[in-house]
Amino acid sequence: MAGTIVADTLSDGAGNTTAMDNVIYGSAKAWVNFTGSNGVIRASYNVSSVTRNGTANYTVNFTNAFVDTNYCVQVLSQGTASILWNTGMTFNTTSYTYLVQNGGSTGVDATYNCVVFFR
Amino acid sequence: MQVVIYQNSNGGVSVCVPTGELPIKEVLAKDCPAGAIIVDDATLPQGADAQFFDAWKLDGTTVTVDFPTAQAHKLAQFNASAVQVAQKRQLNTLAGIENSVSDADFTAELTAGRTAIANAKTTADLIAVTNPS
Repeated sequence: MAGTIVADTLSDGAGNTTAMDNVIYGSAKAWVNFTGSNGVIRASYNVSSVTRNGTANYTVNFTNAFVDTNYCVQVLSQGTASILWNTGMTFNTTSYTYLVQNGGSTGVDATYNCVVFFR
Repeated sequence: MQVVIYQNSNGGVSVCVPTGELPIKEVLAKDCPAGAIIVDDATLPQGADAQFFDAWKLDGTTVTVDFPTAQAHKLAQFNASAVQVAQKRQLNTLAGIENSVSDADFTAELTAGRTAIANAKTTADLIAVTNPS
């Protein structure tokens, strides 16, 4: 089924409304939740694959490319170490690469990697 | 599960895991460089070998662990942990707090660990060496 609804505002009929811009620009355009040590993907949207380039070095590949590299990324990396950093980011329209490190600047394969993209 | 593997620019092996949104052959063509191949992940190094991902090497269609590289990575991890412990010990000393282990015992622990890494024969031997903490 295909079709287009054109509207400036969405309403639930009970007086609650939101501008269409909130839906278009406020919705995640891609996301993925995967295991760092083996790249196994728990769930995703608009992500075709995740590549492990090395310990704690990942590339998220998009199913549909972004129009430019000005998208915003939110990364959560949760492992056994108390503090994990995300660094070494590379923005491409078709992929996003990043590293995960602990406080000693050592790469750590986090158990949970949750990456969300907005544009 | 099928994955795509290829030798990367760092000399290691990249493993591309499809999400299932696209057929793996499309992922191979779209997300991976020329020369990448599709393999079953059960054929990749398992167990202790899997923990030395940065020492993996691709020979044709087979991925193995380069043991000297694994040894070097383990030694680097060990030394990085040793530096962190040494820094804590130095801070304790400056603050007038007694370290729980004597300097002689700490030095002996480092020597024993490095010797064990040097004498290791397998990746399981390497994993058995506890980093200073």
